[in-house]
Amino acid sequence: MKSLKSFGLVMVLALALGMGAGCAKKNAEVENVEPAPVASSSSAIDAAAQQITDGVVYFDFDKYDIKAEYRDMLQQKAELMKQYPSIRVRIEGNCDARGTQEYNLALGERRARAAYEYMIRLGVPAEQLDIISYGKERPAVEGTGEAVWAKNRRDDFNVIAR
Amino acid sequence: MRKIFHFFHSVRVVSLLVLTLLFAGQAQAATMVDIYGPGQNQIKLSMASPLTAPGQRATALGAELNDAIVADLNFLPFMQLIPSSAVLGGTVLSAWQGADVDFRRFQIAGADLLVTAHWPSGDRENSTVELRVFETYSGKFVFGNAYSGVTHAEVPNVADRFCDDLMAALTGARGFFSSSLAFVKGNGRKRDVWVVRATGRDLRQVTNIPGAAMSPSWSPDGRYVVFSHIDDSTHALGVWDRLSNTVKRVRFPGNTVIGPCFLPDNRVAVSLSTGHYPDIFLLNRQFQRERPLEQSSAINVSPSFDATGTKMAFTSSRLGSPQVFLKDFSTGTVSRVSMDGSYNSEPCISPDGTLIAYTKATPSGFRIFVHDMVTGTDQQISFGPGRDEQPAFAPDSYFVAFTSTRSGSSQIYLTTRHGGEAKHVPTGPGNASFPSWGK
Repeated sequence: MKSLKSFGLVMVLALALGMGAGCAKKNAEVENVEPAPVASSSSAIDAAAQQITDGVVYFDFDKYDIKAEYRDMLQQKAELMKQYPSIRVRIEGNCDARGTQEYNLALGERRARAAYEYMIRLGVPAEQLDIISYGKERPAVEGTGEAVWAKNRRDDFNVIAR
Repeated sequence: MRKIFHFFHSVRVVSLLVLTLLFAGQAQAATMVDIYGPGQNQIKLSMASPLTAPGQRATALGAELNDAIVADLNFLPFMQLIPSSAVLGGTVLSAWQGADVDFRRFQIAGADLLVTAHWPSGDRENSTVELRVFETYSGKFVFGNAYSGVTHAEVPNVADRFCDDLMAALTGARGFFSSSLAFVKGNGRKRDVWVVRATGRDLRQVTNIPGAAMSPSWSPDGRYVVFSHIDDSTHALGVWDRLSNTVKRVRFPGNTVIGPCFLPDNRVAVSLSTGHYPDIFLLNRQFQRERPLEQSSAINVSPSFDATGTKMAFTSSRLGSPQVFLKDFSTGTVSRVSMDGSYNSEPCISPDGTLIAYTKATPSGFRIFVHDMVTGTDQQISFGPGRDEQPAFAPDSYFVAFTSTRSGSSQIYLTTRHGGEAKHVPTGPGNASFPSWGK
């Protein structure tokens, strides 16, 4: 919320300055303001992108509900994406190796869409989010056993533009 | 009394001249094996040595053709081949038809049927072969064909054509030996669509695009293979057009394309997600979304249709876990098919509409089961080891292709609606999966 407030303040100041400077300069100044919501260094965006990527959401077997323990993490991602509108994220839904492939593709879609819809509700513009299901095509960890499977039932957050 | 047929192969056209051999007073035998009913019986068959003249073995193309026929017949679980070593007196005969054929030695070896091969002008390139089938106990002629223009390259096609006729004569079902399978081959994230004859011949790759192909389905008219295709960022419906030998990717809103399947009228059903759950939609002939076929607040995937297009089997999670359901479009009703177990998926309805093959999670792994819609019973038809999945009924509603890891890597096998001994379909190096029948 803090970043939103400062963004609004910059907008108000810029518009006030533009109007005060007279009609001849108005267009140019307004144009300058709009594409630069906040002054941010590329390293700050990189850090935000890294933070968005790092947090993985894990699921129970054959489930696609976002567990309570991941809601704070998704909220942090949402705030960062609102702070940096140039960031675009592809939410990638994945399954463990146990199910059959077509059903797993659908399950992966549900997992990706669950996170997508949650982040939309948190105010992230839809234009900043893509989803894809890889089903069980792209395991994070190879092998068998619940410890491995649990690591593969997940949403990855892949920053595709910043 | 003679008819001339042109023989069209499903992958490439072969123009062999085939003459049906008929004999006065010798009618075609009635169906000998009921492959669809319970308690399917076995037929024992013996191959006489191919002859160029009475007592003269054909050792060139003749030997090749006999081997090719034996290899083909090994795909028929109801066929038991009597080895030549079991025939006392040997398999070299002094005649290929008529009273001079010594049926008795084959009777003693237990054979029900005898196949003779005669190469009247020798078994060199471009020669003619006459193949005849007799019942050993009565000496009755079952059927015969003459094939002219036989070359080394055409030997497998002659074997396929003959075995197709033999199967039709014995069972009434035709098409297995001329049918093809589309399937997915490759490793990791690069997997393409290939086609192969059900007997493992004429293997070829038909797509070569970055990403992973899945779930190919062959159009009933043989022109298209559609498949789902996943690259790093998108799902698409892949469409291979056999006429132009081109591949296109069709994208859909929602970026989810799962398990396309052709209907009998050459339209496609596929699961798409546009914000709602993945539901099954019908596409028009331009592969654009037309209307939903099945929607619910749950996952709906893997549609499969009978030959009338009025019955659709599919997988749904509407009861919590994945289960197989059947939608009857004539009444609009949806009924649950799989009653047992917590994970049943990948249904394939037989073209005759009587059975649904599906993949069930069992304590020993995934296995193929068939549900009989007449009796309501389920029967296991694959037995591992490894993971058996992705069943696909052949157009004859008898053979079932499936994917198994029983040999280590993922490979394609054939069994039958009764669970006959599984036969490996050779597809070369690399993992093979998702078999789908064409005609």
